[in-house]
Amino acid sequence: MKRKLTVILYWVIIIALLGLYFTNDFGIVDIHKTSIITAIGVDIENDEVLVTAEVAAPQPSQSGDNIKYTQIQGSGLNIADAMNEIKSKTGFYPRLQFCKLVLIGDSCKEHELFRVLGCLYRKNYSELTAIVAMCKGNAADMLAFKSPVTDITSESILNILSHELEKTATVSVANLKDIAMKAFSPSKACYMPYIESNQPGTSENGGNGENIGGEQGGQSGGSSGGNQAGGQGGGQGGGSGGGESGQSNSGNTGGDMQAMEFTAAKTAVFADGKFKTILQEKQAFAMNTLKNELDTISFGFDTEEKHYTFGLKSVKGGVDLKVKDGIPEVTLKFSAKAQIQGVKEKVNPAKTINDDVIPEDILKSAADELKTRYTEIMEISKTTECDFLDIKSLLYRNYYKYYEALEPVLFERLKLNFDINIGSIN
Amino acid sequence: MKINVRQICFIMAAYTVVARLLLFPMELSNISGRDYLFSALAGFAVQTVVIWAVAYLCSRTQKTFFQLLEDTFGNIVARIIYGLFALFFMAGTLVPILEHKLYVHAIFYDTLPSLTVFLPFFFFAVFAASKGFKNIGRSADICFPLFALCFVFIMVMSFGEAKFAELLPVFKTPVTKIFGGTVAGAYRFVEPCWLLMFMGHFEYKKGDAAKITVSYAVAAALVLLFLAVLYGIYGSITPSRQFAVSKTALYFPAIDMLGRIDLLVLYVMEIVMLFWLVLNIQLAVQCISECTGYKDKFIISLAVNAVFIVLTVTLDHKFSAVQGFFASWFWIATLLFTVIFPLCAWALKKGAKR
Repeated sequence: MKRKLTVILYWVIIIALLGLYFTNDFGIVDIHKTSIITAIGVDIENDEVLVTAEVAAPQPSQSGDNIKYTQIQGSGLNIADAMNEIKSKTGFYPRLQFCKLVLIGDSCKEHELFRVLGCLYRKNYSELTAIVAMCKGNAADMLAFKSPVTDITSESILNILSHELEKTATVSVANLKDIAMKAFSPSKACYMPYIESNQPGTSENGGNGENIGGEQGGQSGGSSGGNQAGGQGGGQGGGSGGGESGQSNSGNTGGDMQAMEFTAAKTAVFADGKFKTILQEKQAFAMNTLKNELDTISFGFDTEEKHYTFGLKSVKGGVDLKVKDGIPEVTLKFSAKAQIQGVKEKVNPAKTINDDVIPEDILKSAADELKTRYTEIMEISKTTECDFLDIKSLLYRNYYKYYEALEPVLFERLKLNFDINIGSIN
Repeated sequence: MKINVRQICFIMAAYTVVARLLLFPMELSNISGRDYLFSALAGFAVQTVVIWAVAYLCSRTQKTFFQLLEDTFGNIVARIIYGLFALFFMAGTLVPILEHKLYVHAIFYDTLPSLTVFLPFFFFAVFAASKGFKNIGRSADICFPLFALCFVFIMVMSFGEAKFAELLPVFKTPVTKIFGGTVAGAYRFVEPCWLLMFMGHFEYKKGDAAKITVSYAVAAALVLLFLAVLYGIYGSITPSRQFAVSKTALYFPAIDMLGRIDLLVLYVMEIVMLFWLVLNIQLAVQCISECTGYKDKFIISLAVNAVFIVLTVTLDHKFSAVQGFFASWFWIATLLFTVIFPLCAWALKKGAKR
């Protein structure tokens, strides 16, 4: 009996102690005294990294909206230095577990991407799931804008980087893992969406896929210093370099910063970790049709007479490489079933029944437009020496015996083929 | 009999896999790169042959390994060899315990926890390690379904993100590096020793050798599948991904909305991992008991775990050095204890056939 009681007592102690093992025992956090980083913006100023963290601070509340969002800045020679400063300001261990967006400012264009973001790839610093994007102007300013869509700026940016939009080929979504995998692959090139802010209620003129946007506003000519002006003073940054930094409340926490809409139709491309160029909307769309997993997309083009907009279904795109007799041949493939969504003419309801049966010449015009765009992005890839279509990786994986010989001269010798097949949906 | 073949098969299938889900992929990919599957395959191929040899030996004798040694070399030599096996089990458990401490700290805590939060493990280990083979078998009965469920969940959540083209081209890593990966990861291969210790403690029936060997081969295939999925997800940055099992499901679409639901699976798998860690300590205690003739296993378990507590505290911030030492040198011990000794067991006096 005594032995049985001893065993039971022992198990009770084990279960209690395993409770400590599996839960955050003594590290219990008072939710009202903590804060969570939901997004970070990274800018470079005077060779120092300036990190702006969008911080969610839970507030005591009986009901409804009880999270306050604010921006905290830190600076240093790398992100870890800056995060340490933010940690000292928030009292929260900054592991970026809840960070869903990493926004890189224009100022990072001049610097090696993986020097700027390097810390995020260190052991367990972040989970590499955060979406990464470059933005026009300063990331700090971008995160400080109000959004007309949601209370949280990062959330409204993430809305335009959704998987649903990715499947329509209008945005090139990438997370930290994706860009590192691509950058450290044989092609050494990666890409990410380029975010721009626009005045709400405005739209950019132009058709044919180029009308995404609006009147630019806010950040032009601005600097993070402007953002800091409304803050609560600054302090010496973390690390040995420690620059000026401060706390900004000018974002969506009651400041007078105007509301902005965000777009991500352009794509920033990098080679060897260095910024190369921005693919404009049409070019980015063309690349997305080859690289994204696609669902239903909308595609506008001009024939000799009219402007058409197709709704494309059963869409498949891709890049295929073959080496025949030592000559590399790349085939850009695209196939889809089309339906007319819009035409620049007066609609005749009696004829809309034929929208599913599209004349061959119009289908050919669509294919030609796509071919033109593909040729354009291949030219950009060649001139910028940025293999964002991953052709070198295909060569490495599928034709390894040719890799060493062809890799340095691949784009000079590359024969370009197209396999574009757009048919009527019926 | 104390343990049965079903339970041995469960042990082979479940514990072999969970033992290789944390730092093993990172270590291997650091050395062998994209071809790390072949490094793992080479290790498993050797061990599968040895496991078949030991399992088949079980069909030829009813003796335990200790009795085989005793009948061949005498009691003293048998005790010495069991003492060496005890040391082997303890040494082979050191890195897994230290890595497990890091895993628990990194994955289950959102801040940097103190060392003490891991120490309760040893209360459990003291108790479990003092138990015999019957307890090992029952634990396996509990752990196998949990493992199977968790592994399926993890794979389902991970598969969609994997691009297996990342593994191409194959065999382009120099053979020395592939073989180097096998050697460096060898210290994690202790399974033939488990079977050696189970020998004579279960009733062998016709076909059991095949069942045990197939269980191990299935476990090896699951590890290879996991490695392929991991590389398919992370490609060239796989060597930077610590605690692999906690990284593969991160890109499952539902996690975006529901949060880290994979952690629920990881918590359950953690239970299986705890029993796997304890198995080696249990076998070390068994060996010490046979070696010394001292029958109070609770006291032995207390002493063994005290050694591990001291080592865990002492080596708290020296994991890389310890792991590096084991990767460089422990393959010699692994070769001796998991290949040479088990194969040489065939030369021992087996006595009457079953």
